[in-house]
Amino acid sequence: MSDSPQKPLSVFQRRWKKFKTMKRGWYSFQFLLWSFLLSFFLPLLVGSRAIVAEYEGELVFPVLADLQIPFKESLFPVSSGFLDARDFGFDQRGLVDWRVFQEREHLSGSDNWALLPPYPFGRFESLLGGPTLRDGRAPHPPNHYHWCGTDDRGRDVFARLVYGYRTSLLFGLTVVVFSYAIGTFLGALFGYFGGRFDIVGQRLVEIWSSLPFLYTVIIVAALLRPNLWMLVVILALFSWVGISYYIRGEFLREKSRDYVAASISVGEGRLSIMFRHILPNALTPIISFAPFALVGAISSLVSLDFLGFGLPAPTPSWGELVNQGLSNIYEWHLVAFPLSAMFITLLLVVFVGEAVREAFDPKPFSRLR
Amino acid sequence: MSLTSPTPTRTETLLSIRGLKVHFPVYGGVLRRKVGAVKAVDGIDLEVRRGETIGLVGESGSGKTTVGRAIINVLKPMYPDVELDGSIEVHSRDGLVQDVNGLGRARMNAFRPKIQMVFQDPFSSLNPRMTVAQLIGRPLELHTKLTRDERRERVESLLERVGLQRSYAERFPHEFSGGQRQRIGIARALSTRPEIIVADEPVSALDVSVQAQVVNLMQELARDFDLSYVFIAHDLSIVYHISDRIAVMYLGNVVEIGSAEQVYMRPRHPYTRALVSAVPHPDPKQRGRQRIRLEGDIPTPMNKPSGCGFRTRCPIAKASCADLPPEVQTVEVGHTVACPHWREMQ
Repeated sequence: MSDSPQKPLSVFQRRWKKFKTMKRGWYSFQFLLWSFLLSFFLPLLVGSRAIVAEYEGELVFPVLADLQIPFKESLFPVSSGFLDARDFGFDQRGLVDWRVFQEREHLSGSDNWALLPPYPFGRFESLLGGPTLRDGRAPHPPNHYHWCGTDDRGRDVFARLVYGYRTSLLFGLTVVVFSYAIGTFLGALFGYFGGRFDIVGQRLVEIWSSLPFLYTVIIVAALLRPNLWMLVVILALFSWVGISYYIRGEFLREKSRDYVAASISVGEGRLSIMFRHILPNALTPIISFAPFALVGAISSLVSLDFLGFGLPAPTPSWGELVNQGLSNIYEWHLVAFPLSAMFITLLLVVFVGEAVREAFDPKPFSRLR
Repeated sequence: MSLTSPTPTRTETLLSIRGLKVHFPVYGGVLRRKVGAVKAVDGIDLEVRRGETIGLVGESGSGKTTVGRAIINVLKPMYPDVELDGSIEVHSRDGLVQDVNGLGRARMNAFRPKIQMVFQDPFSSLNPRMTVAQLIGRPLELHTKLTRDERRERVESLLERVGLQRSYAERFPHEFSGGQRQRIGIARALSTRPEIIVADEPVSALDVSVQAQVVNLMQELARDFDLSYVFIAHDLSIVYHISDRIAVMYLGNVVEIGSAEQVYMRPRHPYTRALVSAVPHPDPKQRGRQRIRLEGDIPTPMNKPSGCGFRTRCPIAKASCADLPPEVQTVEVGHTVACPHWREMQ
């Protein structure tokens, strides 16, 4: 053994180090991670509500109503933080149009002011007839104000794309976490206990995995109005089977190793043996399949939205935009932008997956670095 | 069949195995019915006395490792289908007597610290995800009320005791050589202050030079901690060196048992004689001595020969050997052999 001065590294630490040397995967991971974290503050960057505004000496923060937990978005599509327009110098009751407010106060030279997000268009608002669109016929091609044009209801496509990114990643990640949690737990039980329990359990799993996913979703969507959580649960219930097979196999293999006998012989509990001792040695399939499972989950959401069985109507989603692209096939921006957004995101996730797989490979493949 | 004997020194029983059977059922067919059983251990009696080292010898497949795993009671949790029979009584220092054969988790827990094991493969017996401190400290966490710092101190002193540096506690198993890992395994087994350690071929995966160090360490520890060993090996010369008594196993049965001197120097059973004659001798003048060569392989424990298990390879087998299991004969005090025809082996 070499008496190296540096601190000894665990298996995971060594793999993490190796993962970082895979530049393509590492930068993709960084981009996805930071953009996802940033997306929780999206209303500060993209949206129609002012971040902060002053009217008659009073400060208001309209954006706060929008900075709610993004998961609520699909439950209550329109935010409840309501400021009456009549209180801000408008004639009619309704939502304050902060772009108009900013323009008006600026021209009148008053002390009132509003700070809008850098991209001041919301994901729900229809911009038909507004000053930024030259004519009233939607969809509009991209222009100086609307980088990706508008959809067939005159809503800004860029805003809907970036909010759709948040929804897609959030959906994908929760589906992966839930389905992997179920799959790992059941796979671990089958692999560890084996015997009759395993044989009976595996037959039940096979029956379960033969249920058609799409029909179940269609039935559920017909009976209930699906929201994001419901879709997460349904998809997780249908996608845990694959990983459970891998975990079961890992547990069957690891169980016969002497360290398991050693931990039984010191009186370690069964759950502790399964999840403290064996699971860390059985993580390879979980970690190396997770990025690809994420791709699968995002694609599933896009497909469901495309077919109309996904998230409820005003929620910005990529599948719905792709569907609009299909109905307006000559509007290039409705086809190109949603598809490229999806393509690039999935490609980055695949890059991460490729680097993870490489980091876990004991035989290095120098080509990928 | 009884192969017990009084010893000259101490006679306090620590472990008493009676009629131990370990059968692994074999399933076949579409409905997975039981079609047979691997009779890994097929009725053995063995007594281990306090402070003594008993060597368990036999070739691969003779069931010696399974005996060891039955003693530490890990068979039922690892192979739920296993069929256990007989008894393994532990007479602990605090006066408790308990049959631990297949004992359930809750009741076994009190006896776990008393019986520990050192494993054959130093690579798979240490969890690669845990540091040395976690590996050795975990039994302490489970069985003592020591605080974190006290545990750490115990771990480091154990490391020192087995000849490793205190600073190794933070390292992972992959950073050590085979001999060092085996020392870590010994430190882990020692951590609960056991009364008996089952050492399953603890040195067969090591270099010869390291083997001697580890064996010597184990002998030292036995003295210092008043340990008994069940020392499992296939290398007779090491077993002779370390053991007070030797039991020879063949196909799930004990065929001969006696003091190390008796078994190694004056073997009586035809199988033991073949084993002893196969031990390489360092003296070249001895090169011409007669060797007993056994033909063929050990039969499968799924389909054992009737009567005496050894008759298919035995040089003195008779027709009657196929009828009944061989009766146990006493050669001299403390030396018994499971062969009625042993006198014909000259």
